[in-house]
Amino acid sequence: MRKNRRSNKKTDNIFPINIDELEARLQKEFKNSPDLSFSKYEHHGKKIAVFSIPYLVEASMIEENLLKPLLNKDIPWTTQTILDEIPLNDSETITSFQEILQKLIIGTAFVYVEQAEEVVAYLLLNKEKRSLDKAETESLVLGPKIAFTESLITNLNIVRWRIRSTDLVMEELKVGNSLPREIRIVYMKSIANEADINTMRQRIQDLDVDEIEDSAVLQQYIEDDSLSIFPQFDSTELPDRFTYAVSQGKVGVLVENSPTGFIGPSSLFSFLESTEDLYMRWGAGSFLRFIRFIAMFFSIIITPAYVAAVTYQFGIIPTQLLISIGQSRAAVPFSPIFEALLLEFLIELLREAGARLPTKVGQTMGIVGGIVIGQAAVDAGLTSNILIIFVAMSALASFTSPSYLLGTTIRVVRFPLIILAGTLGLIGIVFGLSLLIIHLIRLTSLGRPYLTPLYPFQWRDMDKVFFRLPINITNKRAKSYQPKKLIRFSGKEASKKRDIDE
Amino acid sequence: MNINVTINKSLKIPAFYLFFIIHGIQTGVGIMGVPRYIFSKAHQDSWISILLALIFMIIVAYIMLLILKQYENADIFNIQVDIFGSWIGKLFGTVYILFFAATLISVILTYIQVIQIFLYPTIPSFVVTGLLIFLVIYIVSGGIKTLVGVTFIFVILSQWILILAYDPISRMDWAHFLPMFQASIPDLLQGVKATTYSVTGFEILFVIYPFISNKEKAKLPVILGLCYTTFLILSTTAISIGYFSARDLGDIEWSTITLFKNVSYTFVERLDYLLIAEWMMIIIPNIAIYMWAITIGMKRLYKIPQRITLYTTSFIVLIVATVIKSDIYINKLTDTLSSVGFWLIFIYPFVLLPLVILKKKWRKRKGSV
Repeated sequence: MRKNRRSNKKTDNIFPINIDELEARLQKEFKNSPDLSFSKYEHHGKKIAVFSIPYLVEASMIEENLLKPLLNKDIPWTTQTILDEIPLNDSETITSFQEILQKLIIGTAFVYVEQAEEVVAYLLLNKEKRSLDKAETESLVLGPKIAFTESLITNLNIVRWRIRSTDLVMEELKVGNSLPREIRIVYMKSIANEADINTMRQRIQDLDVDEIEDSAVLQQYIEDDSLSIFPQFDSTELPDRFTYAVSQGKVGVLVENSPTGFIGPSSLFSFLESTEDLYMRWGAGSFLRFIRFIAMFFSIIITPAYVAAVTYQFGIIPTQLLISIGQSRAAVPFSPIFEALLLEFLIELLREAGARLPTKVGQTMGIVGGIVIGQAAVDAGLTSNILIIFVAMSALASFTSPSYLLGTTIRVVRFPLIILAGTLGLIGIVFGLSLLIIHLIRLTSLGRPYLTPLYPFQWRDMDKVFFRLPINITNKRAKSYQPKKLIRFSGKEASKKRDIDE
Repeated sequence: MNINVTINKSLKIPAFYLFFIIHGIQTGVGIMGVPRYIFSKAHQDSWISILLALIFMIIVAYIMLLILKQYENADIFNIQVDIFGSWIGKLFGTVYILFFAATLISVILTYIQVIQIFLYPTIPSFVVTGLLIFLVIYIVSGGIKTLVGVTFIFVILSQWILILAYDPISRMDWAHFLPMFQASIPDLLQGVKATTYSVTGFEILFVIYPFISNKEKAKLPVILGLCYTTFLILSTTAISIGYFSARDLGDIEWSTITLFKNVSYTFVERLDYLLIAEWMMIIIPNIAIYMWAITIGMKRLYKIPQRITLYTTSFIVLIVATVIKSDIYINKLTDTLSSVGFWLIFIYPFVLLPLVILKKKWRKRKGSV
C-alpha cells in the first residue's frame, strides 16, 4: 500500500498548471460542498491564487500576515520570494495534488503563483475547543479540579506543565486506516518499565482498524482479555491522576478528541484508588480506601446474601429478625429472587435515567424514584422494606468506586450472583465469588497480573494499594511494576532523627 | 527419556508459596471429621498422637526433599522411571496418578455428603460435582500460576473461620483431658495412623518441586505448612475433646462443623451453614491441585497433553461422583485411601531414598571409570 502511495505521488504532480485549471480540479474534489474558498489576485502581471477552507483556518492570520503583504509589497512574487518575505512560519512547499487535498482538510492555507513548480502551504489551523472545565465524572474534594478536554494539544500542554521534566516522553502514533487519529503514549523514560512501553506501543501499532471512535474504544481494542467484564486499563479525566500514575512508572495514553486518558498496567485495586487518598493525611487516606474496599464487597454480596438466606438458609437469621422479615414479606407475591431482581432493576432504571437526563430534571427524578416509588412499592406490598434497605445500600456502595468503569462492572456482577443465590443458596454465592476470584487471578493487564500485589504477593507494595503510610516511609515506587528506578527519595534521610535540643 | 524436566522460567514459583500449597492440599474434607477417628484410638491423649504425626510428617518431608535433591530438576514420575526402568517406573507413576484421582473423587464425595446432611438433603450430587469441576477446569487451564494463586488467596480467605472458634473454646471443659498419658504406645500409634488421611496431600511436593525457583529455600515453607496443618488438626481435636463428652464424640461424625453450630450473634445464627458453604473455598484448591498433578503426571509419563487429560478426567470424575451414592462405598473408599496413602506417602519414601542414592553412586562410579 505504501508503495502505491509513493507511485501516486509521482503521477499526481500536476504542476506547473494554469490557475483556472487548478481551481476547476479542486472544485471537482469538493463537489456539492461549498467549502473551498479560492481567491485569485493579480500582482505585477502574475496571477496568484490563495485557497483554503475558511472555517478551518484562522481568518485574521490570513488577512494580516498573508494577504496584506502579498498584495501591498512591491515585489514580483515567485515561490521563493513568498517563502522569504511572508511573515508566517510553518511553511512548506508541496507538489502533490493528493497532499494538497489532505492538507486542506486539516486547516492549511495555500498560495500558488501561476505556472510555478510548487505550491506554498501555511498551517494556520483554527481548531474549536471548549475551555478547561471542572471534572464531571470524577469529582474530588481536595486537589486540582481541572479536567482533560477534547483537544489533544491542550491535554499535552496540561501534562507537560504537571511533569516539567525532559524525562517525559510523548510518543506520537497514528491509528485508523481510513480515518486516522493521533495517539500519544506518555511515559517517563528513566522510570517506566521498558517491557510495558513496548507492549503498549506494539499493541497500538498492530491495530488494523478503520477508525477508533474514542480512547475508551482504543482501550477495548488493546485489552488483554476482551471477554472479561473487568476494565483492564485505568481511564481518567483527571490530569493529576494521570500524571501521578505516569510519574510512578506507568504508561499513559492520550487520544485526539477524547477527554479521557488511560493508564496501564493497572490492577483491580488501582481502580479503587483515588488521588484524594494521597492528598488526605495518611490515616484518613487509609480509612477512606478501606471503606471503599468494604463497600465493593458489600455491594456485591448483600442482596445475594438476603436472597440466599430468605430462600434456603433461613436458619442463619435469628428468630426475632426472621419474624420481622416474615411479616414484611407476608404480603409480597414474589419469590425472593424475583423480588430482588425486580428491585435491583428498578434501582438500575433510576440510575440510568438519572445519567441520561439533564441535571436539573435528574434531581427531581431521584426524589420521585427513590422516595415515591420506594415507599409506594412497600405500601402496595410489592417488596419488603428490608430488601429496599439492602438494595439501596448496595447501590450506594457501588457509587463509591472512583472509577466509573469498575462501578458499572460491580453493578453488573450482582445480577448473576443474585440468580446463583436464588437457585443454590449460600453454596451458589460461594461458587460465584470463587469464580470471580479465579477469573481475577487469571486476568492480566499489559501482561502483568491483575491482582498484584496480592498475588504475586509483594509485601512492600501493600502500602500503595490497601492502605497508606506516613509520607516519609513511602520512599519507593511499586515493585510489582518493576520500574527502572525503584527509589523515589532516600528513606534514610527522610527518617533521620535529630537529637533532642540539637 | 530425559529424567530432568526443563520448566519455562515464567512458570516458576517462589518457594514461599509452598507453605500455602502444602497447607492448602492437606486441609480439605479430612479435618471436618478427623477428631472422632483420632479420639476413637487414642482418647484424651489424642493430642500426643497428632504431635507424633507431625514429627513423622516432618521426617517424611525431609526424606522427600532429600530424594528430590539427588536430581537436578526431576519429579517423582521421572525419578521412578529412572530407578525402576521404563515399565515398572511407569506402573508406579500410574499408581500415584490413580491415588490422586481417587483422593480427588473421595474429597468431592465427602463434601457432597456433608452438603446433603447439613444443607440440602435432596440436592443431586452431579450439581455439586458439576460446580466444583467447572471451577477446577477453569483453574487448571490457567496453568500453575493460576493454581498457586487460587491456593494462596483461598487459604487466606478462609482463615476467618478460626475467629469463630472462640465460642466452642469458651465452652470447653478442660477436665476432659484428664487423666493424661493413659493411652498405650500402640494406641497412640493407631492414633497417628488415623491422622494420616487428613494429612495426606503433601506428596504433592514430589510433583511440584521442579516448578520451584529457589529450591534451596524450600525446606522452611514445607515444614511450616505441615506445622500449620497440624496446628489446625490439633486445635480442632482438642476443642472437640473439651467441647463434647467422650461418649458423644464417638457418635458425632462431623464434629468440627458441629462445633460451630452453637455460635450465634444477635444478627446471625447457625454459622455451620455459612461454614459449609465457605468450605467450598477450602475444597477448591485441594481438588484443583490434585487435578493439576494428574494432568502433569500423564504428561510426564505418557506425553498426553494436559488439556486432554483435564477434560477426560473431569468427565470421569463427574460420572463416578454421580454414580457413587451410598455412604458405605464412600466410607470404604476413604478407608482404602487412608491405608493406601499411609503406605504410599509415609513408608514408600523410606524405600525409595536408598535406591536413589545407590543409583546415584553407581552412576558416578560408571562415569568415573
